[in-house]
Amino acid sequence: MYGLDAISAHNGWHMAALGISIVFTGLILLSFTVAQLHNILRLFDNRDAYYKRIRGLFKKNNNKQEVSDSDLSLSNNVKEAAGQCKLLIERIGEPFPLPRLIELSEKCGMSHPYSTINDLILAGFIVPDGKGYYVWNQDEQN
Amino acid sequence: MENLLMEFISNTGFAMADYRHIIMITVGIIFIYLGIAKHYEPLLLVPIGFGILIGNIPVFKGLGLSLYESNSVLHYLYFGVTSGTYPCLIFLGIGAHTDFSTLLARPVLMLLGAAAQMGIFLTFLGALALGFAPKEAASIGIIGGADGPTAIFLSAKLAPHLIGPIAVAAYSYMALVPVIQPPIMRLLTTRKERLVRMEEPRVVSKREKIIFPVIGFLLCCFIAPAALPLLGMLFFGNLLRECMVAERLAHAARTSIIDTVTILLGITVGASTQADVFLTPQSVGIFALGAASFAVATASGLLFAKFMNLFLRKKINPLLGAAGVSAVPDSARVVQMVGQAEDPTNFLLMHAMAPNISGVIGSAIGAGILWSFLGG
Repeated sequence: MYGLDAISAHNGWHMAALGISIVFTGLILLSFTVAQLHNILRLFDNRDAYYKRIRGLFKKNNNKQEVSDSDLSLSNNVKEAAGQCKLLIERIGEPFPLPRLIELSEKCGMSHPYSTINDLILAGFIVPDGKGYYVWNQDEQN
Repeated sequence: MENLLMEFISNTGFAMADYRHIIMITVGIIFIYLGIAKHYEPLLLVPIGFGILIGNIPVFKGLGLSLYESNSVLHYLYFGVTSGTYPCLIFLGIGAHTDFSTLLARPVLMLLGAAAQMGIFLTFLGALALGFAPKEAASIGIIGGADGPTAIFLSAKLAPHLIGPIAVAAYSYMALVPVIQPPIMRLLTTRKERLVRMEEPRVVSKREKIIFPVIGFLLCCFIAPAALPLLGMLFFGNLLRECMVAERLAHAARTSIIDTVTILLGITVGASTQADVFLTPQSVGIFALGAASFAVATASGLLFAKFMNLFLRKKINPLLGAAGVSAVPDSARVVQMVGQAEDPTNFLLMHAMAPNISGVIGSAIGAGILWSFLGG
């Protein structure tokens, strides 16, 4: 048997259509999964922050103070350091040069002042004033 | 004395050879020439070419010399082909060799690898229409996957009597990728399309690379369990490469194991092309369908890339579709070559590796599907 008759007789149309559909389905699923992989990993890495956010949503007391993203992403140590730095900045006065803040932090016995102050800059607590000095960001604190 | 001499002379290759042996020996020499002088897939064509010479020395039956005699050394070596062992070990080596970063960075390009597998199923229909039995048609169709180990694996399972012509056709066309693909690529794309530049892929983390082989294996093999032997080894090889704690095993898989298996596979597949079993009208049909399959696969990938561009905000270069056939890395190199012929500053190789690798996965899934449909 030859030609279209042979294809129909051996169920060829169905096998070909189903075969290519399965190949596409497999690779589309794999493609979708791979596309989400880095998002899933990011979610896993920030799981503490997300847990906190979810817990915050279910808190019974209607505390009007909203939890900001920066609060969630900072560890307790950094938040504590932010409090210390704020006191130091009040002492130095604003605007202040960054080396002066680092020097004072070292003198006050803050652990890892360089990385802590860097974290505070990244979190937006300390911002440049555009003239080579820095100021404490009141908005971020609130 | 005279009788003994006459008997010896009648048993020499000179006395037993006929025109078919001469044809096959010529084919073997051409393979060796193409491999050495033209650098067309030398790691494959040189062993296969020499294997063709080995298989076509006329020998008398009963001494255990021929590959098809059950007590011959070649027969034992050929067991790795008929059992599907060699293709799986080659997939292990490919996995240990391959960096999946480009595929992970732009997963949408995987669809091009799926589209190119249409060549397999359209050729399957073509072979059925030409009167081949369904199992033979499936084995011929898989040539369109442009993946030698997959073609051998499926032929060994469905049509072992066709392994020789199918393997030789698959590897010949793989070697001829730089000759077959460019005219189709130029025919189906405009100059403007060939000039499209791809955006820089994102950086892929080590964790993604480690997780991918596990997820890829589970997902693909749950969908097509019959692809387990090939995909299992491919993803396992890749995990060895990426996990960083099994570097010795990964090194062995991508060097000594794959090299040894390539030698054994090439020699035995070549030796299986004995004139009396190879030079048949069926083989001519297989070669013709194999060429058609390859062309259809290339065209499918290109056209699907153009179709995707209808929906994508950031257009992709349709030439990448041609890399969906899984001749790794030759078809990706051809994409780079054709792209650079239009714009020497356009680098497509890295991007073409994504559909190229997904083509390997797609053709293994395709083989698994055909095996599960017809293997019973």
